[in-house]
Amino acid sequence: MITHSLHRKDFRKLIVNPKGFSSVIGTTFMVLVMLVLATSIFLWTLSKNTEYFQAMKEKNQLEMDRLNERLSTENVNYTVSGDVVSVEVNLKNEGSLPVHLTTLWVLDTTIRKYGFNDTLNINLKPGEILTIKGTEAIKVFIEGANNTHIFSSWFITARGNAVPLEKESGIIVAQVSAGIGAIAMNFNKFKYYNVSKVGSSYILNNYPQGGIGYVITQPASGGIAFEVSLINFDPGKRTITLYSSSVLFTVFPVLPQQPRGSMWYIVNVNTNGVISNTYTPIQLAYGVETSVFFASAVELKEGNVFSPAKAEYTGTAPVNIALVGKIGNDYYGQNIPFTSVYIKNP
Amino acid sequence: MQLKKKLGIVWKKRSAVSVAISNVILASAVITVSFVVLFWAQSKSSAYNQQFSEAMDSDIAKLKERLAFEYVYYDKDKSNLTVYLLNCGTIDNITIKTVYVYFSNNGTPVKVFSSPILTHFNGAQIEDQDLDRGEEGCFTLTSLSLMTGVSYSVRVITGRGSTFDYTFIA
Repeated sequence: MITHSLHRKDFRKLIVNPKGFSSVIGTTFMVLVMLVLATSIFLWTLSKNTEYFQAMKEKNQLEMDRLNERLSTENVNYTVSGDVVSVEVNLKNEGSLPVHLTTLWVLDTTIRKYGFNDTLNINLKPGEILTIKGTEAIKVFIEGANNTHIFSSWFITARGNAVPLEKESGIIVAQVSAGIGAIAMNFNKFKYYNVSKVGSSYILNNYPQGGIGYVITQPASGGIAFEVSLINFDPGKRTITLYSSSVLFTVFPVLPQQPRGSMWYIVNVNTNGVISNTYTPIQLAYGVETSVFFASAVELKEGNVFSPAKAEYTGTAPVNIALVGKIGNDYYGQNIPFTSVYIKNP
Repeated sequence: MQLKKKLGIVWKKRSAVSVAISNVILASAVITVSFVVLFWAQSKSSAYNQQFSEAMDSDIAKLKERLAFEYVYYDKDKSNLTVYLLNCGTIDNITIKTVYVYFSNNGTPVKVFSSPILTHFNGAQIEDQDLDRGEEGCFTLTSLSLMTGVSYSVRVITGRGSTFDYTFIA
């Protein structure tokens, strides 16, 4: 009450004697101006900073999303027809975010040429598995590409990640193949047959079951034939052609200073187990397991006809499969020495 | 009625008129000057706002820019380096201002290129010479002698000032 009365008194005084009134107005205006300006600038700066931090947050989120993309690839296969490389692959989105693939790049490392397919529109949900093969294979044009060439490739995602197409088994096989040869033998499918003559033809008894090739009972008559399962692992994916001089031979350590040998030349066998009198070169396509038979006592060339071969000796003997022929357009030879057999009398 | 009476007194005793007028003039002058100061300060602050806004917008735009290198290929026969890019950011109109090629081991520059021509992957020139969101494009740096098997880096500087680096083996 006393304060209020004092203010009223001061105000009356100011009305009666208005000296300094303008200063009060001026100061008030100045303060107001400062307040208005400071407030507006503060609020505006605050909004701009918020905008900036929002952008920063979005960028960090994008970066996080990019780093969290997990796409695995397996069973990669390249097939070339003309200058078009068809890429087959199994994809799996192992991340927690959907992945959008935009482009596939393929590099032919043999001729250092590359191609791309930027018309992809592949979306993979988290956990989704996609198999791209056959007619759905992704096609990329590379001038001068060839089936024998080595390729590397990678996908580009919409977030900017590059996903390489791994060919892990291919690398291991290629290394082994470069070290010991392009042809591998399946030791689980090493078989033998007794050969007998039916009419004018020689046939494999108990074909196609045969017997396990590691222990052989020598037949009283006729001969023995071996079935070897071979796979072409040439990194260049070239076809291997086996010539008639390919032979399976054993060395019997009869006496330490007098080893003895037996040999079986390569033959053709039809689906009924009938051995052909002549030999037509067998071809081993890349990656295809092919049964090859060795049964002839003579090389089937230049008019030689089939004659059954048998082991002249008994006991344990290491087996060598000496293969000669062509790989692609080049000559090729390889010996597979890892088998041994035990031959016994009936 | 009372005001009229007071004014009549003032009119009769004219001695106080000059004081009143002077006070009115002074108050008016103060108000006028205040408004002038207000407008001046307003204009100054809006100029500052403008400047700050531009700087901030530019920074925000830079943050939103992101270029991914899809492939960098050096053709040693033609001495050309082709750089394939994808705009995987969240902003349109990314232009390429400058491209540096340098040794990746010690940073020694090999060559600098200004405003290379952007083309689509099929070779057709990009009309607006920029990359919008999700757009792919490439440019070729010519007459560039690089040593085969040596590691180099390429640095792309965009029109907004963002930099993106990629290392490759020639």
